[in-house]
Amino acid sequence: MGDTAEGGPGPRGRHQQEFEDKALPYLKPLFRLAFRLTGDPAAAEDLVQETYLKALQSFRTLRDPERVRPWLFQILSRLVIDRHRATAREVPLEDPDDLDRFSLYDQIVAEDPLPYSDNLHDEFLAQFPDEEVRGALLALPQVYRMPLVLLYGEDLSYRELAEVLGCPVGTVMSRLHRGRKALERELWECARRRGLIKVWTP
Amino acid sequence: MTQRMTCEQAMRQFFAYLDRALEGEPLHAFETHLEDCLDCCDRLQFSRRVDAFVKERLVDAPLPEGLEDRLRGGLRRVRDAGKA
Repeated sequence: MGDTAEGGPGPRGRHQQEFEDKALPYLKPLFRLAFRLTGDPAAAEDLVQETYLKALQSFRTLRDPERVRPWLFQILSRLVIDRHRATAREVPLEDPDDLDRFSLYDQIVAEDPLPYSDNLHDEFLAQFPDEEVRGALLALPQVYRMPLVLLYGEDLSYRELAEVLGCPVGTVMSRLHRGRKALERELWECARRRGLIKVWTP
Repeated sequence: MTQRMTCEQAMRQFFAYLDRALEGEPLHAFETHLEDCLDCCDRLQFSRRVDAFVKERLVDAPLPEGLEDRLRGGLRRVRDAGKA
């Protein structure tokens, strides 16, 4: 009641204006995050739109106006996880212990893909086109991709990650550990697919 | 008297160390292990490289043209619908 069609100066209009003033400055980081998580500009735009609509609905519950960025990240990350749940058969990919034990460092030493290199590990990495590295990140399950993208791309601390992901710091720690292991293995598999590694059986 | 850390225990802490999330006694134990273990130093160095390698390759996508306007439009439509 008492609102004008243009969105001000009634209470609803003021509320909306305040929301836009506080939340829209984070459009760039939010889009960047969405793009890195989806790898697709149209999907990223959808995700950002939906994030802002959700955010507007729950803006009244935001207590600390200084915490707008993590709050928006949190809404976006929940949307990603929910969508993922709705579309994917999120079967646990494998035994996490196997993943924990995977070591790209050891794998490179053991299979020695560049037999004449003095700098085996660096040269192994140097073989990857940028696009394939991004592809490896996009191939990870969201549960690992999200914390890694937030860490690498937005420099969030473990505490901030826990807040955004809505889980304890210990869980953040283990997801970042397994996420990196999964990424290492993805890089290895990618090298294998590209024929960078000759697999031989004695 | 603190127990010495094994390589396996140290490796579980690699990423927390790289992310500067270790402190106090666990950090001390980890660094003590590194002082005596060249193998873990090499591995840690490699993990640091992989981190930097991936981080450098994240793209900074430019905002699609008109996104902010579309967004404001969408938000206003929601408000107006809510009012109806």
